[in-house]
Amino acid sequence: MTLNPRPSFIAAGLLAVLAVGCGPARVSGPLPDAAAAAALRTSLASGESAGAVAEESATGTGWGGLSGRFVFVGTPGERAVLVADKDTEVCSKDGMKLYDNSLRVDPGSNGLADVVIFVRKARRVKNPIPAEQVVFDQKNCEFLSPVFAARVGQAVDVRNSDPIGHNTNISGSSFNQLIPAGDSTIYTPARETNMPVSVTCNIHPWMKAYAVFREDGYVAVSAADGSFTIPDLPAGEPLEFQVWHARSLGPNGGLGLDKPDLKWSSKGRFEVTLEPDQVTDLGTLEVPAAALGG
Amino acid sequence: MNTMPRLLLLALLLLPLSTGCGPTPPASFRLNMVEAIAPSAEKDSISAEQALTPAQETQVATILEAMFGTPDKPYCLPEAGLDQAKLELAAGPVRSDIVGRKNGLYREHCVHCHGITGDGMGPTAAFLNPYPRDYRPGVFKFKSTERSSKPTHADLYRVLHEGLAGSSMPSFALLSPAQIDALVEYVKYLSIRGETELALMRYYFELDEEDEGKLPESREFLVEEILEPIADKWASAEDQEIEVPEMPEDIDMAASIAKGRELFHGDKANCVKCHGVTALGDGQANDYDDWSKNIYKIEEKLKALADSEPDSGERQWIAEFERVLAGDALTPRTIPPRNLRQGIYRGGRRPLDLYYRIHAGINGAPMPAAKGTVDPEDIWHIVNYIRSLPYGFDGELGADRAVAAQPGPAGRLVATQED
Repeated sequence: MTLNPRPSFIAAGLLAVLAVGCGPARVSGPLPDAAAAAALRTSLASGESAGAVAEESATGTGWGGLSGRFVFVGTPGERAVLVADKDTEVCSKDGMKLYDNSLRVDPGSNGLADVVIFVRKARRVKNPIPAEQVVFDQKNCEFLSPVFAARVGQAVDVRNSDPIGHNTNISGSSFNQLIPAGDSTIYTPARETNMPVSVTCNIHPWMKAYAVFREDGYVAVSAADGSFTIPDLPAGEPLEFQVWHARSLGPNGGLGLDKPDLKWSSKGRFEVTLEPDQVTDLGTLEVPAAALGG
Repeated sequence: MNTMPRLLLLALLLLPLSTGCGPTPPASFRLNMVEAIAPSAEKDSISAEQALTPAQETQVATILEAMFGTPDKPYCLPEAGLDQAKLELAAGPVRSDIVGRKNGLYREHCVHCHGITGDGMGPTAAFLNPYPRDYRPGVFKFKSTERSSKPTHADLYRVLHEGLAGSSMPSFALLSPAQIDALVEYVKYLSIRGETELALMRYYFELDEEDEGKLPESREFLVEEILEPIADKWASAEDQEIEVPEMPEDIDMAASIAKGRELFHGDKANCVKCHGVTALGDGQANDYDDWSKNIYKIEEKLKALADSEPDSGERQWIAEFERVLAGDALTPRTIPPRNLRQGIYRGGRRPLDLYYRIHAGINGAPMPAAKGTVDPEDIWHIVNYIRSLPYGFDGELGADRAVAAQPGPAGRLVATQED
């Protein structure tokens, strides 16, 4: 017997195809402005520059410092327990638990740790690249510094104090290196990060930290009590700072605060002009729980 | 009933099918819409405020057209370091030129998987595993250079010529060397273009208040600050080749394999953690490569935001983002570590290829670098062990199966046998 499908079935099938159309629509952005593109190409190829901005030169003299203290306003809540299901004989030895370290609040003073603050663009730099190394260690299957900073060109000693092997993978840097048990390796950041980047271990996926590398080294990470100090900054000229926290809901992790006197923006930026030979204290900087996702 | 009207009806229905969904528009590059809505290197710190405005998207598209042209008329500034003649051979619709030479090679051979923009999202992409490479981040896995370096021209040539074993990437050995050269140049072009696009989109966040949300269009910015650092990395790839010491000719292969086995299972090279004690690729297997991880992180972040009482602006952004992900991103997939018992290696099966993979790791994938940790001689031992793996188990399967590794004396891991 030969198959003889009724034409109405075929018609229904064809109709179905028509109704479905050409698959899920890809989302297209706007088209380029062809005339503007042609004009821009001519100007780029001619080597002439339209509207070049002259490099801003330093206007101030002397050096000053900046300090302050971040304080968490609200209840930090219980830290989540991480699922450590690899190398359990080390990572959950004797019932040890690992916790989410992305929000560390000092129980006594409510100081907020791990806030990063750095200068967006310094026109002058006082100190040479420090010779001492930044130590970035891991023990008991967690990174001992949830956030660390280094200057571009400064050596970072990536250590492993565990009896098991780890790998350290710094996002965006192509650094992903095996660190055997009890061993260490040196990483020298070659490029500045605009914002902190994540550091992970692929063998133990719950491990997470952040790193920030700055060309001028004008960067601080707030301590356990929330305090920070950046010394030897250029004084007498406006300096713009960027503030960041891992849990911030602001764009790119920028931490916006309600500080109209400093014109603190929602991107987490503010501007100050420092006095020479003294440390300008911003005092207590209150970070509401809502800014960090409750 | 007469069959005539039925046939007419059929013909009528077939007509729109044969003509498709309207006239074909001129080929155009797609904007990176996932990046436009979340221009951030770290996808877990994205927020609604970052999304580019339509005016900003137009500016990026316009700058890209000025610097790189269109799929039919590619263009490159001298600073890009690309060969315009090769690009023209590869680009545009498939056609023959005046001397009968085939033009439009990319659209003939590559576009259905890698897409017109090189975003790895051609029409067939979603059906392939692994997904085709998305060139736009400028990251390539199989190369002879250090991890953070670009592949050399010869590396990409090799991938096209040999194909990638175990993936859908076929060999194009039937093309002439000049044609493969042109395609390699075009892949570099799409990659440099994609990296430029990423850099431009991420720069909006770096703007100051007085820039009013508009990127400068000066030569200093577009060429010197954005394009040159990208092009320089491509130009310097040849200097970044991994130095590989010769494997000793009089090597005792059995001893080398035994040493390699010890290293494979030891806590120094630690291959066992991901590739598994059996080397079947069954260790740590729930990780993602960088391309999938970005999308995975975005999905997680959107879920978390949706649960945290978003305001109406955020809700709109989440909805728009879900639309973009549905149309412009491939479903993230975990990346299994290679099953080393099969003898199929994507980046090539020469001992040298395996040496490169172990030395530098695989950029874009979780595979870390052993460089500096494992001596070159030991890397050769691991290579020899890996090459022995497809030809039989070295020991009892049951003995190998004991996954629980215990820290032994002096911190060394000792595989223990299960009862």
